[in-house]
Amino acid sequence: MIGETLALTSRALRKWVHNPAAVLPGFFIALFYVALLGSSFNPTKVVPPGTPPQIANSILSQTFGGAPTYITFLTPGVICIILVFNMAFGGIDLVLDRQLGYLGTLLTAPIPRSAIYLSGVFQNLAKVMLLAVLTFLVALAIPNGLQLPGTFNVLDFFGVFLAFGLLGLGLSYIFTALALSVRSIDSLVAIVNFLTLPMTFTSNTFFPLDVFPDWLKSIAELNPITKANEAARLLVINGGLSSAQTTTFLWDIVYLAAFAVALGILGHLAARRALRPE
Amino acid sequence: MSRIIEAEGLTKVYNGKVKAVDHISFSVDEGEVFGFLGPNGAGKTTTIKMLNTLARITEGRASVAGHDVSRSPGAVRDSIGVVPQELTADDELSGLENMILMARLHHIDGGAARRKSSELLSLVELDDAARRKVRTYSGGMRRRLQLVMGLLHEPKVLFLDEPTLGLDVQTRSKMWEYIKGLNKDRGLTVFMTTHYLEEADSLCDQIAIIDHGTIKISGSPAQLKETVGGDIVTLTLSDGAEDLTNFFEGIEGVKEVTRTDSVYRIKLPKTEKALPAIVEGLVRKQLQIKEISFTKPTLDQVFLEVTGKSMRDEEAPQSDSGWENIRMQRASGN
Repeated sequence: MIGETLALTSRALRKWVHNPAAVLPGFFIALFYVALLGSSFNPTKVVPPGTPPQIANSILSQTFGGAPTYITFLTPGVICIILVFNMAFGGIDLVLDRQLGYLGTLLTAPIPRSAIYLSGVFQNLAKVMLLAVLTFLVALAIPNGLQLPGTFNVLDFFGVFLAFGLLGLGLSYIFTALALSVRSIDSLVAIVNFLTLPMTFTSNTFFPLDVFPDWLKSIAELNPITKANEAARLLVINGGLSSAQTTTFLWDIVYLAAFAVALGILGHLAARRALRPE
Repeated sequence: MSRIIEAEGLTKVYNGKVKAVDHISFSVDEGEVFGFLGPNGAGKTTTIKMLNTLARITEGRASVAGHDVSRSPGAVRDSIGVVPQELTADDELSGLENMILMARLHHIDGGAARRKSSELLSLVELDDAARRKVRTYSGGMRRRLQLVMGLLHEPKVLFLDEPTLGLDVQTRSKMWEYIKGLNKDRGLTVFMTTHYLEEADSLCDQIAIIDHGTIKISGSPAQLKETVGGDIVTLTLSDGAEDLTNFFEGIEGVKEVTRTDSVYRIKLPKTEKALPAIVEGLVRKQLQIKEISFTKPTLDQVFLEVTGKSMRDEEAPQSDSGWENIRMQRASGN
C-alpha cells in the first residue's frame, strides 16, 4: 500500500512542480494578509500619547501576548488561514479527477482504496505546508514584520511547524474525504464556504482570546486552530519557553495530535464509503 | 475454448428504482473480441462497470477470468485492463511518465516498468513522442496511449469503452489494427463497446445488442445479419410493365417482394444463387431492366430492427456535463 500511496502522491506533486505558477495565488494571498492586513494595525497607536513607557508596554504585552508588532502576532494566524483555505479548496483537484475519469482508472486498478485516499491527504498536506513555510519567510522579510526573539532557534522553528503540521494533517484528512464524497465542484465549494469562515472566526487568528466575549471565547478555546496559533505564538513571541509555557505548548500539541487522529479515523470511514462501488 | 467472462441474470438497479440493466446473461470465450452495442442509456456502461468492479451487482452474478466479481473484486482487478471512454492520461506528464506511473500502480517496478512501457509505446508507434508531455498529443495519440496504459500488467481481459470515439476515419482504422494485433498476437480477450457498427462488424467475433437494459440479440456478425432476412435486390423496370410480384415470388429462394410502381425490392437469403434466375426470367419475358442493384445486410439494419433506432440518429454518447464536453474536445483535438 505504501508503494501505491507514494506513486500517486508523487504523480500529484510532479504535476505541481511541472507547473510552478500554481503556487502563486496562494503565495499572494499570504503576502497580502501579512503585508497589508498585518501592517494596517499598529498597536502602539492604541496607547494614548503621553502614557509612561512602562504602562504602555504592559498594555501592549497584554493585548497581543507581548508580540512586538501585529505582524508577529498575526503571522501564525495567517498560516492557519492558508492551511484552512488551501486545504479546503485543494479538494477541487480530486473532484476533477473523478469527473475526468481518472479516479475510475484508479478504482479498476489493484490498488488499496486507502492508498487512493491517503495520497490525496498527503499531496494536499505537502502543497499547503510548503506555502506555510513560504508565508513564514515572507513575514520575516517584511520590514517591521515578523520579529523573532533572539532566543528563537531551529528547534523552535520545528515546534512551530509541528503544531501547523498536525493541524494541517487533521484538516487534510477531513477535506480530502469531503472532496472524494461530493460529485461536483459546485457542491464542494458550497460546503467549504460554509465551513471555512466560521472555523477561522471562532479562533484567535486575528485577535487574542482575552478580548473575546465569554460565549465566543468558550467556543474558540476548543477550536484546534486556536491551539495551533497558541503553540506557534508561544514560540514566535518568546523563543526559549519557561516551564509553564512548555507545558501549555505540549498540551496544545497533544490536543492537535488527538484532533488529527480523530479526523483521520473519520476521514478513512468517509473515504471508504465514497470509494466503494456505486 | 474456455469462458473467460460469464454473466448470469446480471441486474443493476440504481436507488432502488431505476433498472439500468435487467437480468442479462452472456458469456465471452477466451481470445474472443466481444462487442457490446446499444443506444445511449441502454445499459452498456453500467454492465462494463459491474464487470470492472466499479458498480455493485444488484442481482445475478458475474465472473471474470475465473473470479467472482462481487466476492473477489481484487482478483478481478488484477486480471483486467480497463481503457475508459474518458482520456485519463495526465496532460502535464509525458507519455512515458504516465506509463511508468500506471506500472507502479500495478506493482511493476524499476527496470521492468521502463522496459514494458517502452515496448508498449513502440507497439502503438509512440516511441518518438514518449518523452513529450501528453498535452501536446493529438486525439489519436492520446487514444493510443490510453490503449497501452491498460496493458502494462498483461491483463487477461481488456475492456475498451468506445475506443475510437471522436477519431477521424483514418486514425480509427489504425486503432482497429492495434486492437486486432493485440487480440491475434497476444491472444488477449477484448470486451468492447462502440458506436461505430462497421467497427463492430470488422473487429468482433461475437456481438450482443442491448437496449432498455436487456440483450435483444447476440451472435456473430454474420449470424446477426442473417436475421435481417438476407440480401436485398432492387430492380427498376421500364414503365408500364405488368405487375411481376407473383412472378418474383415464384422464384426459388425469394422471401419477400415489395413493389413501388416499377421498382421492386426483393429479399433473398443469398443473392448469388437467385439473381441469375431473376435476370433469366426477365430476359425470357423480354422485359428491359433499367437498373439493378443489391445490398448485403449491415449491422445497421440489425440494430434498427432490434432497437427501433438507427445508430446514426445516436451519434456520439450525449452528456449534459461540461466536463464530458471537455473530454470530447480533448479526444478530437489535434
